[in-house]
Amino acid sequence: MSIEEKVLNYKKILSLFPNTQEKYQYLIEQAKENTNFPKELRIDEFKVNGCQSQVWLVPEEKNEKLYFISDSDALIAKGLVTLISSIYSDESAEEIYNSKIDLMQEFELGAILSPARRNGAFSMLKSIKNYAEKLRN
Amino acid sequence: MINSVELKNDFPIFKRVINGKSLTYLDSGATSQKPIQVLSKMNEIYEQFNANVHRGTYQLSSETTTLYENVRTKFKNFLNAYSSEEIIFTKGCTEGFNLLAQSLTKQFNQGDEILLTEIEHHANIIPWQMAAQEKGLKLKFANIDKNFNLDLEHFESLLSEKTKIVSIVGESNISGMLTDILSLTNMVREKTNAYIILDGAQLVPHRSVDVQKLGIDFLCVSGHKMLGPTGIGIVWGKKELLEEMEPVFGGGDMIEEVNFDSATWAPVPHKFEPGTPPYVEAIGLGEAVDYLTNLGMENVQKHSDELRGYALEKLNSINELNIIHSKAEKSGCTFSMYVDGVHASDISLMLDTYGVAVRSGHHCVQPFHKKLGIDATFRATGYIYNTNDDFDVLVNAIEASLKILK
Repeated sequence: MSIEEKVLNYKKILSLFPNTQEKYQYLIEQAKENTNFPKELRIDEFKVNGCQSQVWLVPEEKNEKLYFISDSDALIAKGLVTLISSIYSDESAEEIYNSKIDLMQEFELGAILSPARRNGAFSMLKSIKNYAEKLRN
Repeated sequence: MINSVELKNDFPIFKRVINGKSLTYLDSGATSQKPIQVLSKMNEIYEQFNANVHRGTYQLSSETTTLYENVRTKFKNFLNAYSSEEIIFTKGCTEGFNLLAQSLTKQFNQGDEILLTEIEHHANIIPWQMAAQEKGLKLKFANIDKNFNLDLEHFESLLSEKTKIVSIVGESNISGMLTDILSLTNMVREKTNAYIILDGAQLVPHRSVDVQKLGIDFLCVSGHKMLGPTGIGIVWGKKELLEEMEPVFGGGDMIEEVNFDSATWAPVPHKFEPGTPPYVEAIGLGEAVDYLTNLGMENVQKHSDELRGYALEKLNSINELNIIHSKAEKSGCTFSMYVDGVHASDISLMLDTYGVAVRSGHHCVQPFHKKLGIDATFRATGYIYNTNDDFDVLVNAIEASLKILK
């Protein structure tokens, strides 16, 4: 599935929930299911800047594709970064770099997606793009 | 007596519906809502009076200048200042502290000390850190005890002849702690020649402040936390001290005479106010002062005390809730809270879905959060338009949110 297809798929899922609270509950479920992030990787090297909550992102390159795992100390943020990681995983650096879809616009997620510098998800998205750009060169 | 239910009608924002719920606004510690009187006045200025102050020789400019300058008199009366010339307009409390830190420390020597407390807002830490680095000054911090009050003994032990500035919060934006300012000024005067600065960001909106009675030298006030617009605040200072001080920002309107290589300064307060001031905001803030004066600050204070009592009892009924709040008999209606194992940002996002607006994070008081070993708290603050019902909504929303998050 392409990045765009994955985004639209999640958008469809999120639209099934009639209000912000249920969307958050969906993100909380995603967070609780995401148990693949080793606690020992919660280190500064992988930390993404954010103020409201802490977010960690670990990129990996395998067979010319990128894979991301992520974690947060807050549940709703963790749910969101889990979605973002799955969207950009199993894609090439070129595809990630060229992807123009505005994920934050597509997901209508209330206060969590306010474009604040404090928001870990925004910084994480930037980190993913930066990482892809570096590998692409 | 304040009837908050009726008062809400003065604030257009309470007509808003958030996530399908009516707005329960409990973040006045960050910024207060604005009554229609303030909003209409600002609109009226733009529609009927707008002209730059202090410059024009035409009617509009003269009218606006009078309205703008009258706000100083309103503040003089509101704070019982000695003179209206002691009121300096700033962008807000933060700019006030920066102005004082840069100007007052000009004559300080290496090793001179600045005494703060552990629970100061970053606005009352960073400007001093910056001045300290430049001049080789030393910052000292008085302890906050386990009841979230200032440890007066420790405070006193830090005073010495080296202490040149004591800058302290009047009402904490974290715990609601009300500083015993009178005891503190007596201690400072006995042992030092230090300037005493009071951070009035939270205190002035909620309690009657008489600068003469308190015996302080300077007071920083934030306009937007006391029903006024953003981008405006004041510094009050004793006139004889302001006259001795050097300005730190230069430009038009703050000068007496300018040559290519030198200039002399206008008298206080104007020497501290270069450029076109935010006069519409200042006039709006003057309207906010009138609004609070009409309510009566003793009533505002009483409302805060009653609301605090009710809120504390209700919040205490949630077993897993840890509350950072002054245990003194009197304190502000401000509660920072956390639940072990649940992130404060999750709680505040969930509360938003119930239409409840609270702040989460370290509320610009990071060192104190670090001391407590907590990354973040969520904070509820009550103001004149808040009712007991608002805290019932909060408590129910916290309980419902915890069920989802735990």
